[in-house]
Amino acid sequence: MERRKTTGEMSATELMEVLSQVRAGDADAWGELYRQYGPAIFRFCRRALPSKEDAEDATTEVFMKVRQKLGTYDSSRPFTAWLYKVASNHCWDMLRRRRIRQDLETGDLETLPLEHPDPSQLERLMEEHTSKQVRSGLEKLPDRARMALVLRYYADMSYDEIGETLGVRRAFVGVLLLRARHQLREALGQGGAEGVRGAAVGERA
Amino acid sequence: MNHFDEMSCLLYLEGQLEKDRAREMADHSATCAGCRALLRALQTEDVWLREALSAEEESVPARLMEAPERGGAPWGWITALGLAAGGMYTLWSGFVEPWRAQAEQAGFTQGNFLTMLFFSGTFWKGWDAMRSLMEFMAVATLGIVVTWLLRRRWRHVTATGIVMGSIVFALAGAPPASAADVKHGQPNYTLAAGEEVKTDLIVFADTTRVDGDVDGDLIAWSRNVIVNGHVKGDVLAWGADVRIKGTVDGNVRSWAQTTTVSGTVAKNFMSWSGEADLDEKGRVGGSATVAAGNSTLGGQIAGDVMAWGGEYELNGSFGRNVLVHSEKLAIGSAAQIAGTAKYEGRHEATIADGAKLRSPLEFVEEKHGPDYTEWRYYWHQTLLWGASFVFGLLVLLLAPRFFFDAQDACKKVVPAAGFGVLFVVATPIVAVLICFTIVGIGVGVSTFLMYLVAFYSTQIFVGGWLGEKLLGASTGIAPAVGRLALGLGILRALRMLPYVRIAVFVIVLVWGMGGLVLAFYKRIRPQLAPAV
Repeated sequence: MERRKTTGEMSATELMEVLSQVRAGDADAWGELYRQYGPAIFRFCRRALPSKEDAEDATTEVFMKVRQKLGTYDSSRPFTAWLYKVASNHCWDMLRRRRIRQDLETGDLETLPLEHPDPSQLERLMEEHTSKQVRSGLEKLPDRARMALVLRYYADMSYDEIGETLGVRRAFVGVLLLRARHQLREALGQGGAEGVRGAAVGERA
Repeated sequence: MNHFDEMSCLLYLEGQLEKDRAREMADHSATCAGCRALLRALQTEDVWLREALSAEEESVPARLMEAPERGGAPWGWITALGLAAGGMYTLWSGFVEPWRAQAEQAGFTQGNFLTMLFFSGTFWKGWDAMRSLMEFMAVATLGIVVTWLLRRRWRHVTATGIVMGSIVFALAGAPPASAADVKHGQPNYTLAAGEEVKTDLIVFADTTRVDGDVDGDLIAWSRNVIVNGHVKGDVLAWGADVRIKGTVDGNVRSWAQTTTVSGTVAKNFMSWSGEADLDEKGRVGGSATVAAGNSTLGGQIAGDVMAWGGEYELNGSFGRNVLVHSEKLAIGSAAQIAGTAKYEGRHEATIADGAKLRSPLEFVEEKHGPDYTEWRYYWHQTLLWGASFVFGLLVLLLAPRFFFDAQDACKKVVPAAGFGVLFVVATPIVAVLICFTIVGIGVGVSTFLMYLVAFYSTQIFVGGWLGEKLLGASTGIAPAVGRLALGLGILRALRMLPYVRIAVFVIVLVWGMGGLVLAFYKRIRPQLAPAV
């Protein structure tokens, strides 16, 4: 699956040329690369981090890292995959440094049993909430849950990549995503819509 | 028929199920409307999430329009480092340096501060012991670094075990310190006149009497220690009655009920005694540092005199400055003080007519408690607050998880107070006991230094807790910094109040120490695997 959006249209050949020029220290090429990918990375950071200010700082820092590490980029792999990897590692490092309290407070959630959703209520929940509301709900999630959703549904990362970034086993990524979805539904449900948790699965019996 | 659970449905949609299981799911959903509905809902949710996250409704901020050319100035770090430098300077100039200067005056002059900390390297075995200590510290430091490097690869306990095992192995393999002559009296020990010990002499006896020569240090634990002969090194003595009648080429340091010097000490004299006397014939080539209930200094002291305690009588010849901090001071008619003379006490000193002082005695009347009218007092308190804040900031930045653990542990008041009392009292005792086992001096001194750091750090955990209590719980470093600053400020203010300050000091010490201990315990206790 193709990686997440970038703002402009740049062919693979053009990209390689730009990267080559950036490595050679060409400031214009660096500006071009930033214009191409900066907005997407800002949006990624905006979704992964709890505040806009954090996202702005992170975007700048991610690109500084990109510039430093560009020599390590393997051109046989998609550039966006590498770029998102750098960004996700950076954001996760930021969150790890800050999340201590939250983890302690939400650690028990990991062991709570999840109840099956009622498909019709789930669909109603989706109909009732705009994209903006979803992103607001995302901000209320614990760091790891939010990060998992962003890595999967914004950056299109594989389970292996997500596991590597978040430091969990691949087998646990599915659990993480499912719990994150539940937490998001809960957050949105608390925001006014009828909650979806606790719906019986009687109709499937 | 068994339905598939939501987890399996999600993994199926995400293409994460094994082939057989996926086929099973496909077959089942073809015939089960309920599972089909759930799959459809989850798939819709997948698309819904992707669209919501991809929506570009928020514009990119103006400051991100240009590509970053270089990293912004790390103002946070510059500020923190500036504060740290200021705090360190405050601590150094306010506490460490005065003590270092006093210690130097007391004869610990063989080099740097670290050397002074270990009693000029002569406490046990001179530089050999220092070298062993340095080796220990180097190996321990290396161990910590290795543990840190390996922490991601190995389980914590395994890595720690291997590294600690290696340290023990390395230390066990190290050559022992050079031999000393250790004597156990039965019950007394006497080195007869004309006899000579060619190395350091360590004696445990009821009475230790040295009439002969010791070509090294004399270290004695005895009820009575009598030196009539010649000790070419230092004399370190613990006893009820210590008498130096002969000649000591080095320093004399005693911890005794009564210490009397009537012989010659070529270097410095230091004594913690109920009574410490230098009689008329006594000679000290260096300085004298005395803490005693009663003391008469009647002989000659070539260097400075620094004294604390109850009642002092100065009736000898003093080559340099004299500083006495005591209840009473009498300067006799035979006294000669070539330097300045300063006395801090509650009563005016009595000075006999014949006493010769180069300058008038400077008397500072001792007052209890701080001087609240003095602006320096408030400035000093502000600096102390700043130093504690910088220390807390460093701990918070370097070990945030531990900081929060300790702060949270402070919420458990009863266990924290219980462990706090235990460790506040027991740790220095254990450290001293370890020191007294010769092999363990490095460990003992390290324990004591760590205790001092823990002692100081208690306020930051209690301060952090207090700040959080007042401003509410928070997430992240930045809010914690604000809460820490507030909490420490309140603690500092409380410690300025008369009568209350001692209680606040003790409570913070005990409570914070308990939090620290509980946080450490949390780190080292066996961890259970997380539930999946």
